[in-house]
Amino acid sequence: MRGILLVFLCLLPITAGGQIVIDKPLSQRLTGYDIDVTLDPVKHTLNGMMNAWWVNHSSKPVGEAMMHMYLNAFSSSQSTFASGGRWSAAGDDGWGWVKISSMKDGMGNDLSGSYGYVSPDDGNVNDKTVLRVVLPEPVAPGDTLVLKIDFVSKLPSPIQRTGYNEDFHFVAQWFPKFGVYETAGMRQREADGWNCHQFHPNSEFYSNHSVYNVSVTLPTEFVTGSGGKLMEETDLGGGLKKVIWRAEDIVDFAWTAWPGYKVVTRKWNNVDITLLTCKMGLSKAENHLDAVVYALEYLAARVGPYPWPHLTFVDPPLSGSGAGGMEYTTLFTTMGGGAVPVFLKMPEMVTVHEFGHAYFMGIMASNEFEEPWLDEGVNSYWEQRIMDHYYGGGYGLVQLPFLKMSDTDQGRLTYISSPSRAIASNDLPSWMYPHGTYSMMSYNKAATWLHTLQGIIGDETMDNVFREYYNRWAFRHPSGRDFISVVNDVVKSEHGDRFGENMNWFFEQVLYGKGECDYRVSGITNYKIRSYSGVVDGDSVTYTRGDRRSDTLYISRISIERLGDIMLPVDILIRFDNGKEVLETWDGKASYRDFEYTGSSKVIWAKLDPLDRIDMDVNRINNSWTLEPDRTAARRMLNKFVLLMQMMISVFTL
Amino acid sequence: MSLFKTLKNGAAAAASSYKLILLIWVTTLVLTLAVGYPLRSFLNMIFGNSMAVERLNDGFDLGITGDLGKSFGGLIASVSAGTMLIGLVGFFIMTFFAGGLFRRFSLAWGGLKVSDFLRTSAGNFIPFLKIALLLMLIIGAYTFILTGIPIIAGLIVSGSPGQTGNIIYGLFVIWALGLPVWLFVADASRRWIAATGSRKVFRALGAGFRALRMRFWHSYLTVLAVVLINAVFILALMWLAGTSTPEKGITVFLFFVATQALFIIRLFMKAWRYASVCEAVK
Repeated sequence: MRGILLVFLCLLPITAGGQIVIDKPLSQRLTGYDIDVTLDPVKHTLNGMMNAWWVNHSSKPVGEAMMHMYLNAFSSSQSTFASGGRWSAAGDDGWGWVKISSMKDGMGNDLSGSYGYVSPDDGNVNDKTVLRVVLPEPVAPGDTLVLKIDFVSKLPSPIQRTGYNEDFHFVAQWFPKFGVYETAGMRQREADGWNCHQFHPNSEFYSNHSVYNVSVTLPTEFVTGSGGKLMEETDLGGGLKKVIWRAEDIVDFAWTAWPGYKVVTRKWNNVDITLLTCKMGLSKAENHLDAVVYALEYLAARVGPYPWPHLTFVDPPLSGSGAGGMEYTTLFTTMGGGAVPVFLKMPEMVTVHEFGHAYFMGIMASNEFEEPWLDEGVNSYWEQRIMDHYYGGGYGLVQLPFLKMSDTDQGRLTYISSPSRAIASNDLPSWMYPHGTYSMMSYNKAATWLHTLQGIIGDETMDNVFREYYNRWAFRHPSGRDFISVVNDVVKSEHGDRFGENMNWFFEQVLYGKGECDYRVSGITNYKIRSYSGVVDGDSVTYTRGDRRSDTLYISRISIERLGDIMLPVDILIRFDNGKEVLETWDGKASYRDFEYTGSSKVIWAKLDPLDRIDMDVNRINNSWTLEPDRTAARRMLNKFVLLMQMMISVFTL
Repeated sequence: MSLFKTLKNGAAAAASSYKLILLIWVTTLVLTLAVGYPLRSFLNMIFGNSMAVERLNDGFDLGITGDLGKSFGGLIASVSAGTMLIGLVGFFIMTFFAGGLFRRFSLAWGGLKVSDFLRTSAGNFIPFLKIALLLMLIIGAYTFILTGIPIIAGLIVSGSPGQTGNIIYGLFVIWALGLPVWLFVADASRRWIAATGSRKVFRALGAGFRALRMRFWHSYLTVLAVVLINAVFILALMWLAGTSTPEKGITVFLFFVATQALFIIRLFMKAWRYASVCEAVK
């Protein structure tokens, strides 16, 4: 073990100890990788070696290591990722894999016979995406395990997140990579152990913040980009060059190479932003750069600083579109450049979303496999806030004079229009969501209830929740329970017991429960009452006259009902015919509630949740009731429909 | 006859046929209202006493579609069915009235009573229908050859629509410039039927092509000028209708009056094309 420690100390200056990109380490840097490979653009292979190290930060010796071998998801149609027809190779040359030709530890011990594949999630014997290495001797607490691995990676085609198409290469999940060794208590775990899941169709991220020194040899005509800072690019002669990148404190390292890339750059504060795009995407380059600057600006102000001085993103060509819409912290891919009309902000939305993952999963490195809502849902929530803040006056997705849509509504729409919205709770592992509900649940339902939480606790408190989340959990591995704990602490400190002892009641319903939220105003009644009221007392009748100005009194009743299981506090705005408005608050727990008023004015309308703060409410049509419905919009739409139809028959006939 | 004089005489002939054009307008209005009113009632029924309809005041907020639930599906199905119905019936109606209009514009003297207009519309309906279908088929093939095939070929060869984008724009301009040729042939053929009383469709098409060949540039530029003016007018009208959001009852009514007045002008402009072609081939 002393030998291993010596090797670690030798490596220290060039890995963890070397501050090249960032002034001081942002994370514990429990893992690191020095990789040297050569890209064969004809065979689409990467041939090389790496030194990988892992520090045992637990209090017990560890006798095995677990590693991701994610390219093997493409090595068989029966892998967990590809099974069910989700992916199939484009011919014999389309398969992807990673093969280890040699593995030694830091002492030079050959580990060739000491490793094998395991399938911790589903027991699929055909899945070879998780490698278990039995170590010759356990790694003592505080010691470092070093593995020297020679490997060959073959990229798959068609591209699905990673792969190649002709000379376009997007290289992700491409090298043997350590899982996360979790200690007891971490993410509410009961005992120490590796957390290393198989490669699933919907999730691929849970890793330590690591240091990467990556060297790639490839033909000179290739334009490259990566999640690291470019340290050196050397012409080797013979049409080859060597590119060296270094990345610090990121959870994954991906890179891309394509001769057709156009490079556009911008600087924001101290961040050098690089966009790799195609010829077709050049027309949208400034839009994408604006979007990423908006996201940087918004998240830095409301969550925490973006700590790296570099950021690269890729708008792939159509031939590489399978790589679009993915995130690797300091490198991400967007999509849909030149072909999308200006009024539709989908490309900008993808850019903002994928960049947002630098925070939610990149900095706050949650476990995407086990709690996908904590990165996709939280990130969608922020994406929607950013889009609606910067684009189109609150309508951040579609903005036409006659047609509009906010990004927040897009997410909510996906959730409330799903017939399967109530079949599962929101806390399932990514591969356990039934009936294709993963996206709807992880992205949209979670974002919708986060907006609802914001509606309840207020905008400022919500921002403070995320600032505190960042302060506590940046460059660590938070769980959903850790996030809830932050919410409880911040809400308590800012609102006391206004919302109860804690906010668990909220999360029990929206995250761990399956219920729906639907409140409605079921009606308004206004009864006239007589000027005099009488009381019969034996043979006599006593009349009394009400204290009022007008001749008529009304008893007005507004009937409110809770149709769903979810109980949330709601506001009700009530307007009387004399212009007076009353704002009532209801805890929303009973199945119904009547509000009754006696006075000279009658109620003309009532609105539940008047500021549309409860996004979880699956039907807002029934949130209001008016005695005089406004038919103007319907009349105007009829007029436009008539004209449109007349124009259609006059234009499309000869 | 100069181009300007052809257009001027055509405009005068169209203007003098105002009764016929108003008849066409009333027919289209009745047809579209017959479908539109039930749709409006359906929309009112969906919203009931809700104030959520306010979200439609400043353009259509797509976010509301989820709240509408299954009703939205019903609304979309109704609008689609209504649009198809209006499109089909409208095609027959416009083809029918074209028969009367061409008869009116091919006469040496000005007047044509409404009853005569309807009679000649009915008489010319079948050959006009055949010509309309044939020309639409030809224009469809022309469109596919000029724009569809290059797009498909570009996609196959380059794998990206962006690589062939400029070529496609260029082809679209060529397509638009070629369109007046087919419109002229359609109009001249129908004019020939209206003038001769013959029902022979292919002879009419031959006459149309002959008329085009005899004075090509004059014929082509006549239709091109009218089509360009029509196109600008239609775009302006659709922009106006799309962006206007009258909010009060009276302004909604005035909006209706204004849009219908503009549509009547559009019908005059279409009749202007018919009349100008008839002038050009005289």
